[in-house]
Amino acid sequence: MDNDQPPPTDWELVKRARSGHVGSFHELVDRHAPMLYGLAMRLVGRAEDAQDLVQETFSGAFRGLRAFGGRSAVKTWLSQILVRQAARYYKKEYRRRAILLDQRPTATGPPGQSRADLRMDIAEAILALEPPYREIIVLRELQGMTYDEIAAVLRVPRGTVESRLFRARRRLQELLKEYFFGPRPGAGEKESGAAP
Amino acid sequence: MRECEQISRVSAYHDGEMPPAERAEFRQHLSQCVSCAAELERLERLTALLSSLPPPATPPWMLDRLYRAVDLRPVHVLRRMAEALSAVAAVILIACLAGLAMRSSSQASAGAMPVWESRALNQQSEESTFGGREELVAQWMAQDLSGKDGL
Repeated sequence: MDNDQPPPTDWELVKRARSGHVGSFHELVDRHAPMLYGLAMRLVGRAEDAQDLVQETFSGAFRGLRAFGGRSAVKTWLSQILVRQAARYYKKEYRRRAILLDQRPTATGPPGQSRADLRMDIAEAILALEPPYREIIVLRELQGMTYDEIAAVLRVPRGTVESRLFRARRRLQELLKEYFFGPRPGAGEKESGAAP
Repeated sequence: MRECEQISRVSAYHDGEMPPAERAEFRQHLSQCVSCAAELERLERLTALLSSLPPPATPPWMLDRLYRAVDLRPVHVLRRMAEALSAVAAVILIACLAGLAMRSSSQASAGAMPVWESRALNQQSEESTFGGREELVAQWMAQDLSGKDGL
């Protein structure tokens, strides 16, 4: 009989968790932890830190269950908490990260390297972005959020999302310029990546 | 190549975030603007690059760690437990007070006799006294009658 019932919505789980049903909160963890871990990994780059961020996010969400009014989706709310936690992390790690990034070349390996190198270059380029650009790139390109969702997560107007995303993409193209402006295998000596 | 003034709108077009009418109009613009067309291609290439990144695999132990973290920091569960403990404490307190009251009353009964008890006892003694009198009167009456018979 229970199998015929549709699974509870996130909002229903939040309401049950509010009334003390910890199992419902576990269900929310099951549903959203992978997405949040992906977001955290792309924002901070280290697995241990990402796990800490996700844990802090759920702890914060649990504490804030009563304050959450359901105006935004649970996914948006959790992402919002995680991005805020990540901002604290940036402050702590800023100096260390800046030193590391100064030491690494911005121009990465040329196209044609292994797929693993390509992925590493992209991941590093994302981490090299300034936090506001990194956040918006990750939310849009990796998490697939709409502009409205991003605006809700970052608490900025939609117009800011559009302009920031434009600048973030430009910056990322610079960091990955070898993949945009370098010689492409079998593409002759064209300088611009705009060629069809 | 000089950039078009509308180049920042390419992102919204690329992401499917333009209203249909605006999108149709911008598609027209793209067919005539080399700068915006080149930007669109770069964006498509960037998105293709980024999509080659697989989502980070969640460590298998992480969910258990998250459950534990929530179970160990259950703020409102703690509050509920505190409420339940308060209720239990109140019951224990009431039981203790009731016990104390009963104990003090039994101690009091051992010292000073309650009024009803003394009255009951008095009545009992009165009754026994009266009963004794009855017996005595009956005895006297019997002796009297037998004396008369004897006279």
